[in-house]
Amino acid sequence: MKFPFRALPAAGGGELTPRPVVDIALEGLPAAPIECLLDTGALRTRMSAELAPLAGIELADTLTEEFFVAGLRTVGTFARVNLTVTDGTEEYSWDAPVWFCDPWPHAFGLAGLEGFLQHFLVTVSAYNGYLEIEPQP
Amino acid sequence: MPTMTVSGHRYQLDRQVVEGALEGVLPEPIQEHFVVINGRRWPPKQVLGLVTGLDRADFTTHQARRALTRLGFSAARATNSREQHTPAAGRITSSGSASGGTDSRSRPLVEALRPFIGLWVAVRGDEVLVAAPSPKDVVAWLAQHGQHAQSMFRVPESEQAIAGAAPQ
Repeated sequence: MKFPFRALPAAGGGELTPRPVVDIALEGLPAAPIECLLDTGALRTRMSAELAPLAGIELADTLTEEFFVAGLRTVGTFARVNLTVTDGTEEYSWDAPVWFCDPWPHAFGLAGLEGFLQHFLVTVSAYNGYLEIEPQP
Repeated sequence: MPTMTVSGHRYQLDRQVVEGALEGVLPEPIQEHFVVINGRRWPPKQVLGLVTGLDRADFTTHQARRALTRLGFSAARATNSREQHTPAAGRITSSGSASGGTDSRSRPLVEALRPFIGLWVAVRGDEVLVAAPSPKDVVAWLAQHGQHAQSMFRVPESEQAIAGAAPQ
C-alpha cells in the first residue's frame, strides 16, 4: 500500500512541508481513521487519549508511563487494540500496543516501532513524496 | 435590512443574521448545491431552515439558494464529489507516481483545509467532510450522517505543532 505525503496549510499562508503519514483506524472507530505521522525514532505508537473513548477503549486499570513528548510531560496509558490501514483497495489489520496520552500536544498520532513499524516493510521516498508499507507475516 | 418572503412568510434577513444563526452548528453533507458562509460550504436548505425556523419541506433548494445569494453569499453546485473523493482516488498508481502527493494535485486539500486551522477535521480525498472543535464532535457528525472518512486529524496551527516544539 502506498500513501502520498500529506501537505497541510500554514497559518501564515502557503503550506507546511508535506509529511509521511498513514491513516490508522482503531477498532471501534472505523469511520474515522486517525492520521499518524511515521516516526522511525519512536519506540511506541501513541495517540491522544481523547480518542480512546470514541472507539470504546477503556483505559482504566491498565499500565501507564510518564514521559516527555515535544518537551511536554505527559502520561501514556497502554491498550492493546486492533488497528487497520487501507489504501481504498487493500486492507490490513493487526493487533498492536497503543499508548493513549494525556495531554497530547500533536495534531496527529505517532506511528512508532512497537505497534506499527514492526508489522511492515516500510519504504519512504521523500524524493517522490510517498510512503509504502508492506505487511510482514 | 432586506425583506424576503419564503413559503408565504416574510422575513427580515441580512448576512449577520444568517451568520449568527449558524454559530455552533455543523454543516450537513453537501448533496448537490451549496452556499459559502464564513468560509464553509452549507446545504442551502439547512441554512434557510435554521434562519427561518421553517420546515425544510416548506421550500425548495432553489428557493433557499436564491434567497441566500440575494444576501450576497456565493453559491455553487458541487462537482461529482463521490467519484473524485473516494479513498481509492488518493491511491498511488502501481507505477509509483504519487497521485495527490506533493505535486500540484495536493493543493486542493491544502486550500480546503485552510479555513479550519486549529480545528479537528475529517477528510475524504480532497474534500473536508466536517470540521469541529473536538474529535468527539467530528465522530458524532460522521455517525449521524452515515459518512466514512479517509482521515481524521487536527489541522496544525504551525510548523512547530508538527515538528515537535514544546507548546507554550
